[in-house]
Amino acid sequence: MKKFIAWLALCSLISTAGATETKLEKIQVDTSMAAVERGIDNLMGNCHNCHTLKYVKYHDLLHFGISKSKVDAWRGDQPLDAPMTGLLPDTAAMQSFGKIPPDLSLMANAREGGPSYVYAYLLGYYTTAEGLPGNHIFPETKMPDALGISSATDEAQRAEIKSKARDIVSFLTWAADPHKAERHRLGYYVIGYLLVLTLMMYFVKKKIWSRLE
Amino acid sequence: MAKRIIDWIDHRFPLTRFIKHELTGYPTPRNLSYWWNFGFLAGFVLVLQVATGIFLAMHYKADVTLSFDSIQHIMRDVNYGWLLRYLHSTGASAFFLVIYIHMARTLYYGSYRAPRELMWWTGQGLLLLLMATAFMGYLLPWGQMSFWGATVITNLFRATPFIGDQVVIWLRGDYTVGDATLTRFFALHYLFPFLIIGAVLIHLVALHTVRSSNPSGIDLKAKDNIPFHPYFTSKDFYGLGLFLIVYCTFVFFFPDKLIEPANNIPANPMQTPTHIVPEWYFLPFYAILRAVPNMVGGVVAMGLSVMMFAFMPFLDRSRIPGGAHFRPWFRIQFYLFLLDMLVLGYVGYIPPTNNSIVIGQIATLCYFGSFFLLPFISKAEERWLVKRGLPPAVQTLMVSEAEEKSRRKSR
Repeated sequence: MKKFIAWLALCSLISTAGATETKLEKIQVDTSMAAVERGIDNLMGNCHNCHTLKYVKYHDLLHFGISKSKVDAWRGDQPLDAPMTGLLPDTAAMQSFGKIPPDLSLMANAREGGPSYVYAYLLGYYTTAEGLPGNHIFPETKMPDALGISSATDEAQRAEIKSKARDIVSFLTWAADPHKAERHRLGYYVIGYLLVLTLMMYFVKKKIWSRLE
Repeated sequence: MAKRIIDWIDHRFPLTRFIKHELTGYPTPRNLSYWWNFGFLAGFVLVLQVATGIFLAMHYKADVTLSFDSIQHIMRDVNYGWLLRYLHSTGASAFFLVIYIHMARTLYYGSYRAPRELMWWTGQGLLLLLMATAFMGYLLPWGQMSFWGATVITNLFRATPFIGDQVVIWLRGDYTVGDATLTRFFALHYLFPFLIIGAVLIHLVALHTVRSSNPSGIDLKAKDNIPFHPYFTSKDFYGLGLFLIVYCTFVFFFPDKLIEPANNIPANPMQTPTHIVPEWYFLPFYAILRAVPNMVGGVVAMGLSVMMFAFMPFLDRSRIPGGAHFRPWFRIQFYLFLLDMLVLGYVGYIPPTNNSIVIGQIATLCYFGSFFLLPFISKAEERWLVKRGLPPAVQTLMVSEAEEKSRRKSR
């Protein structure tokens, strides 16, 4: 028994050692309509030029509650059920960055840490000693500092960039799992129903078993 | 009218007799605890997986260029597609959880002992089928972890003597995991559940021949057996309610906790994820695979670690019934074994470090050690307990079991 306890203690030591490698600031994602809408405004201005969101269709945005005029401006002459593909042709992307920018539809769920990772990544840019752009979270990144955090010096500007990043993360979290709100809403009803049903089953069981002496 | 219809059927099919024999008259020990609910729950999850799976298959496309997209189509565009998929993906975890508890109960109470060996072995077969089904199903979303998991596991068959390379190609249908692999895994993932249903029927026929074991380990007198219906149907449904509360909490609130983030990235054969982990239910066995430095040895150890359970009726040589109930040493061993499984699971989950490899190797030794030492421990424990004196009911049963055995031998 003592041996097992010693092992468990060892295991927990290892786990704390591993945790320090990727230390992300854990953020609370603002899922409000306003934050998501600010997020897509920022995303269309800063990210969508290069990145696709191929699993999100323009009518999904309408359905979510973005105004028709905004969506029409974004989609141009594409139909409403078209996916939000990017504006950057693959060949041009390969020429400028050496790789095709990843699709963002699932980005908020596709990295260890989820939305916190995306937030930390967007704000992880800095200027190296040689004057080159670097990123603390994903050093191999080919993406330039889109939000400009590495060159922002005064506090007000930095705060604005941070809130922009937060809003983008809000939108990406919605885009990765657009039915989440509906799922939670339905979930409360389902669990409530099951609690009542289970309680009733308990009394049924008790009643039936009371026949035995 | 209803009576006439039933009479008409009974004349041609043993409906009433079947219901009486298997349900309303089927004698079940009245002292079964809630740990005996898990077989029923496993049956329920099986039906749930088949039902959701069939509807998912209506929208899923087994093609390397389409399958990742078709999952997103299900998640976003199909009406309640997200619900179907999360019920199914969470259902896989629920299935293993329920089955592992079902197995742990059998081990704890020694339900694998004579005359229930065939139940235990059909159960072992069911576990293998379940593992194969889950493994193949995991490839279907065609995410990074799907692809690399399938690559790593099919690669293990290289350990087959002489024809290893050919076996791997034969399994994959190609030199690498690709379109051929995906389509065949889909076909087999659809087939295997029906094999499982068939095996479950055999499991149940065996159960209804030998009847349920019970926590005391002693065969109860006739008056202590009660009909399955309505007593155990009502108890099973109450247990089902409790199970569904836990299950639905995961389905509606934490479904992505059970999906690796890397599986939200489409499979990319050119880019290996930094850390390939299997689903939680394979982690202890994965840790055993990694604990052995040699590949063939690792594969053999992993296969053996799953199959060791089948030897339990031979390894446990104690004649004392009731599993851990009357056997303190066995009880300690049982809990240590569970702890060892947790350690192995943890070691399988984290990226290998020097420390974790050593811990994994020690835990692997303990895993096999607890099986190989069982014959000696169980015999010594029996001697010790007999010397200390056993409850009269246990002694009577031991004597009657011994008589039964010698009678069968002399015949």
